[in-house]
Amino acid sequence: MIAPMPEPGPLLHIEHLSKTFPGQRALDGMHLDVRPREVHALVGPNGSGKSTLIKVLAGFHQPDPDPVASWGGEPFDLGAPADADGRLRFVHQDLGLVAELNAIDNVALVRGYGRRTPVGTIHWRDQSARVTGLLARLGVELDVFKPVGQCTPVERASIAIARALEGLEPSSGLLVLDEPTAALPPVEVRKLFDIVRELVASGMSVLYVSHRLDEIFDIADRVTVIREGRHVATRDVADLAPKELASLLVGHAVDDVVRHERTDALRDAPPALTVDGLASAFVDDLSFAVGRGEILGFAGILGSGREEIPYAVAGALSPPAGGVFHVAGRRATGLDPLAAMELGIAFVPADRAAEGSLADFTVGENITLPTIGRHVRAGRISHRRELAAVRDWIARVEVVPPVPARPFPTLSGGNQQKAIVAKALALEPVVLVLSEPTAGVDVGARSVLYELIRREARDGLGVVVSSSDVEDLVNLCDRVIVLRDGRAVRELGAGEISQASLLHAMEGTEGAAEPNEQGDRIG
Amino acid sequence: MPQNRTSRVIALADVTASSRGRGSLEGAKRLLSFGNIGAVYVWIVIIAVFWIWLPDTFPTLETVRGILNNNAVTGLVALSLVVPLCTRMFDLSVTANVGLCNMFIAYLLAETHWAIAVCVGMTLLLAIVLGLLNVFVVVILKIDSIIATLATAALMAAATTMISNDEPINTERLAGSFERIAGGTALGVTLPVFYLLAAAALIWFLLEHTATGRRLYATGFNSTAARLAGVKTRPLQALSLMISALTAGIAGIVLTSRVGAGSPGIGPPYLLIGFAAVFLGATQLKAGRFNAWGTIIAVLLLGTGTEGLSLAAAPVWASNVFTGVVLIASLAVTGVQRTRIRRGARRDPAPAQPAPPPDRTAGPAQQAA
Repeated sequence: MIAPMPEPGPLLHIEHLSKTFPGQRALDGMHLDVRPREVHALVGPNGSGKSTLIKVLAGFHQPDPDPVASWGGEPFDLGAPADADGRLRFVHQDLGLVAELNAIDNVALVRGYGRRTPVGTIHWRDQSARVTGLLARLGVELDVFKPVGQCTPVERASIAIARALEGLEPSSGLLVLDEPTAALPPVEVRKLFDIVRELVASGMSVLYVSHRLDEIFDIADRVTVIREGRHVATRDVADLAPKELASLLVGHAVDDVVRHERTDALRDAPPALTVDGLASAFVDDLSFAVGRGEILGFAGILGSGREEIPYAVAGALSPPAGGVFHVAGRRATGLDPLAAMELGIAFVPADRAAEGSLADFTVGENITLPTIGRHVRAGRISHRRELAAVRDWIARVEVVPPVPARPFPTLSGGNQQKAIVAKALALEPVVLVLSEPTAGVDVGARSVLYELIRREARDGLGVVVSSSDVEDLVNLCDRVIVLRDGRAVRELGAGEISQASLLHAMEGTEGAAEPNEQGDRIG
Repeated sequence: MPQNRTSRVIALADVTASSRGRGSLEGAKRLLSFGNIGAVYVWIVIIAVFWIWLPDTFPTLETVRGILNNNAVTGLVALSLVVPLCTRMFDLSVTANVGLCNMFIAYLLAETHWAIAVCVGMTLLLAIVLGLLNVFVVVILKIDSIIATLATAALMAAATTMISNDEPINTERLAGSFERIAGGTALGVTLPVFYLLAAAALIWFLLEHTATGRRLYATGFNSTAARLAGVKTRPLQALSLMISALTAGIAGIVLTSRVGAGSPGIGPPYLLIGFAAVFLGATQLKAGRFNAWGTIIAVLLLGTGTEGLSLAAAPVWASNVFTGVVLIASLAVTGVQRTRIRRGARRDPAPAQPAPPPDRTAGPAQQAA
């Protein structure tokens, strides 16, 4: 070849990668190219197949037959468990650290303690030097004997990264960071970026998985967008405007949304819920009201207090949130979950598995758990009545398959979420409070859930939605309150709610002229 | 809504009481399947083996009576463990409770002239106090139930020794009419068999047919989700400890009447066999749930093996080998089944992360409007 290569050849090249789960195609002919010494961002909405792709790379999932993959031009075996000395290293979202152990022990969990003293005990001086050295490569200094639970979030992330990188030749490695900033406050994000830049300067490549658009413009050289398991686009970040990336992610113009109209009767009715002076760990003196038939959204970046509001209103915080609650004219303070329920507030928590459902119960038992007392006749559950109610709800929220006796975990994420919403609606609440209503829900089930919530609102239910997914808010809400640092900083009415306006209000960049300084972010 | 016949039948057989659906062939098949009542089939095999091995001594009415009579107290101890385990609590103090109640009622009968009914009442009161002690330590002080009930068991053992001075209590009042509590018979079996059936029926009704029972299971399966669904998890845990203490107290009284003495160290040996039965029972009828009739089946299975081995003049250690092997085998088989169901759940994407601490150093919020 005489002509110079116009671009550097890829370090990792993947084509025709598919992964089918029973009933769901998580990856569909995905392709990906990561060049040497670049930060390559991988972005996509919830349920787009990002995690599946990472798990295939890590060898946790076997891909469907015959993907094409190469590493530096050599064939590469996808789906083989990544061995500890491989060129592909991972830092997963939860970091995989044991909080009670110190940095040395956490590194040793994966890598072992190495050379021992002559009597066979751990050589602590050696170990300390080794881990300190690993951290120094990242430009980080910390007390390696301190339990990592006492470290700052970014120190913990750097310990996890240092552990992942041990023994890796910098010039030939690829580090996969899966949503590394999910638990980091903004200031610490900058520090993490310094670490990533340090790595790239030493010759590493980084595959950076995120759903925060602002970060991508800060740190990435190129970005690949994935949606519904398919490759949408790969672009140079320098040539990309934030709005362009947002529309690649969403895949449709935001203004397509059909907004529902409240009837005058509902509009004039007294509010379903009023909250005065709500105060909790992250929320500072917030007051708001939700009308009958109104869907009120809460937006805000992580740590803004947005994620705590549904828990505060549903009485799920301990100690209970301060403030005065009125539901349909009845007053209450210091709510616990039962008191909130009795007041007319039903709750759909963010974490389906840990908070929203019981894996050992059937679908039917999950749906009737809060309302089982209503099916008691003469001191005994009328199983006939219970089953009739379950059938009714399964039909109403379209749970598939419509089998009350199915063990709950055998349902897909979307159907689990429908059943959990049915459980809440069965309380016949005045107000429905939802946290992250579509997290981990596939696209089809998502639109069913949207329609279901809108339909209940048309019938007069007041709805509160808190979501990190801007799409939820755009699709559902009549009004959105934007929070920052625990305070309401902006309220958007029906005509003003759009992906862009929400993102700007959340990051506080309204009116910013420079596109590069826009802090766009999408869930 | 599409709804096929099979799913309706399964729904009837399972989401509601397991007794539904018996009318249909599918329901009956499911009810009699190995997955549902495997222990019954194992039990039949055990009976067949002993029948062939000991054709003269084993297949007699005497053996049947012996199995029932000898296992009534074991059954009561096992049942006392069912309800706490439903709420995911181990009450390791039940057998210490049995031992203390045994010594306490023997002491009352020997040292006072109170009527038998009063002595029985006082002993049940003691059982309630012991239950309250567990509630205080586990529910109010929030100490893990395994450790907490181990500690209260030690206190109960100490009280037992304090009363008895480590000597058996043996007076004629313990024979006499008190003996009829356990010694009386009806339909050819001793009364404790009926106490056992009554206790099983009560616990079955509580767990399967009342809202409280559903909430007890919910508390044990996922207390966070249960609490968010309005279930009062702590009061239910307290209730379950009270039920176990009272059942253990009854077992203690029955045991005293049966042996006719207050005997140091009589309670604790029931602990292992009780737990073995209740865990084996949880694999039966309502797989994965601790339940009353499954526990009864397990007690009878283990009791038949033990009885047969003793008739065969097997070495003393043989019955413990039998219990251990049956328990490990049954839990291994059902453990495999449960893992398969769980795998279905793992395919879900990771749930949302809990809120991290916000960055408070970023200064006051800008007022944007």
